[in-house]
Amino acid sequence: MIRLQNLRKRYPGADIDVLCGIDLVIEDHDFLSIVGRSGSGKTTLLNLIGGLDRSHDGAVEVNGRDLRSLDDAELSDFRNRAVGFVFQAYHLLDHLSCRENVAVAALFARGEARRDASWVRRRADEALATVGLNGAGGRRPSTLSGGEQQRVALARALFHRPQILLCDEPTGNLDLDTGREIVDLLSALHSNDEMTVVAATHDDTVAAAGARVLRLHDGSLEAGDGGGE
Amino acid sequence: MIGRGWARTVLADLARHWRHFAAASVGIVLGVAALTFFLALGFQVREILLDRVFPTDHLEVAPKAADLDLFVLRLDLGRDALDAAALESLARIDGVEAVYPKMRLTVPAMASVGSSLFGAGMQTEIVADGIDPALMAEEVGGTFHEVDDGQPAVRCTRDVDCGGDAYCGRGAGRSEGVCRPFIPVLVSPYVVELYNGAFRRAYDLPKVNPDALVGLTFEMAFGASTFRPAAGPTIRERMRFAGVSEMAIPLGVTLPLGYVRRLNTVLDSPEAGERYHSAILEIGDRDSLPQVVDGVEKLGFEVRDRGVRRAALVTAIVIIVLGLVGIVLIAVAAAHIMHVFYLVVMVRRREIGLLRAVGARRTDIRRLLVGEAAAVGLAAGLVGVAAGVAAGAVADRLAASRLPNFPFKPESFFHFSPWLLASVVGLAVAACILGALPPAHRAASGDPSEALAGR
Repeated sequence: MIRLQNLRKRYPGADIDVLCGIDLVIEDHDFLSIVGRSGSGKTTLLNLIGGLDRSHDGAVEVNGRDLRSLDDAELSDFRNRAVGFVFQAYHLLDHLSCRENVAVAALFARGEARRDASWVRRRADEALATVGLNGAGGRRPSTLSGGEQQRVALARALFHRPQILLCDEPTGNLDLDTGREIVDLLSALHSNDEMTVVAATHDDTVAAAGARVLRLHDGSLEAGDGGGE
Repeated sequence: MIGRGWARTVLADLARHWRHFAAASVGIVLGVAALTFFLALGFQVREILLDRVFPTDHLEVAPKAADLDLFVLRLDLGRDALDAAALESLARIDGVEAVYPKMRLTVPAMASVGSSLFGAGMQTEIVADGIDPALMAEEVGGTFHEVDDGQPAVRCTRDVDCGGDAYCGRGAGRSEGVCRPFIPVLVSPYVVELYNGAFRRAYDLPKVNPDALVGLTFEMAFGASTFRPAAGPTIRERMRFAGVSEMAIPLGVTLPLGYVRRLNTVLDSPEAGERYHSAILEIGDRDSLPQVVDGVEKLGFEVRDRGVRRAALVTAIVIIVLGLVGIVLIAVAAAHIMHVFYLVVMVRRREIGLLRAVGARRTDIRRLLVGEAAAVGLAAGLVGVAAGVAAGAVADRLAASRLPNFPFKPESFFHFSPWLLASVVGLAVAACILGALPPAHRAASGDPSEALAGR
């Protein structure tokens, strides 16, 4: 379960808070869509939930642990095992193959999560197959279309079978049809793998896939339109 | 991130950003090449100065002079001999491994070199001293040894009757004599240099090969002089060259100590056979030289300045200057690497953000960048060392063909010891790591969200 309590965030040099005291509970296996205009704080909210940003007031608790109480090693392990990120800009490393991109988290796995090379390769291919990219493991990301690149990014997020999938404008750089395919994939993952999915979007298709839709407006959350709720 | 994954990522990053790293390496390669060249030159100069010109694993110590100049005369008011107690005190100084006393011959002597060597007979006044053959054992082996002239007399008519180590000593005009052992002698390389330089030219004599001197014989008359008529007995002996050594008296010949002691006792006085004029201190570690010199001076003796002090000063200056060069190199290389790594970190900030997002710890990012810096340092260090060695080989070749011969001219002006090369490569690696630390720290600090946003 993810619990946000009075979450506030102000960027250095800014005059106003980008998040103004957010209180939110996201249950396990939920599919939450957060909609809002550009600059409304959607990305900031996802970054805080995923432990990519820790400079805030209030609490971000995941499974009962306040992320601010974790040291760098614990927080890194949390990002490595418990969370998968899908970014609007994909953030694929073009000097690596698709398979290597998918498995990049394995480089930083420690303890029980550390596996041998053959397991890593097999799991990366599985993740690619899950997003419909069988046989693309050896290709460079730059040789793929935008939709395919976002699928690779999704496979990367799924590599360690995370408990939480955080998607920041996952269809933002894609055309309508390709975007719909990605949304279908997210819905399937949520249904089949019982993953908690939080998607920040201004795309109605993505928003509609969510079981709940919340609107972020001037740093505060309001109940949104549509969604499965 | 550990093990092969780390190594593979480092190598992949190096390959990807090779232009940046190659640019960063140029300064280090040049610096390492220069440092290798100058350090090897400095160490070789040090070796030549301290091993050959002014050997410092042995120090000659003598009573402190207390001279008083009176018109043309200089009066010696100090002690001029070392006794057994003084030798014991010297042996107790830290760093001294052994003490070998030296005794001057206190009577005049003349040497007669036969025509076999120079084509014409030659006679000259000569000074001599005696040293313990044990001191020379390592350098010239068994050819320099004490002589036992108390053996029962063996009658002879020719040298061949006496075997290899003795000759047939006959009085003037006599056809029969007794076998006498050859007295082994050492000469200093200065004598050979002097002879082969000015002396042979002045007398139109052939140049001699010091290695071929061993085994040649000549005659000496102890107690004889051309300056004044002999007041006492004269002893004639045949001498045989045992070798050339830095330990020998600079201008003269050096005999086994026991033989000089007997000559002084017989030809001068019993007291003259008990007074040592100086002592050679064997030093275990060259680095303890200043401490030994200090100990000697505290005991009221002085170190015979055969350039040791100047050599020590020169080598100290060379080492300090080279040390400064090394420090400057470290600073320049580290600054250059720092600049390049800041650039690399800026170019790769989104990539670093992504790595942090998928679980890289701050230490992983630091380790990755420091690993890349170490690899750059290793490669640049190896190339730089190779360039330095190559430059040394070129310089040696030029020196061999362009520089005239001079005393102690070495075959190579450079001493590229393995530890020197390894140290310089290590220095390059250390400089690169030092330079990469601040950018690596900056790359690892801050939240991943900032890096992903390109901030």
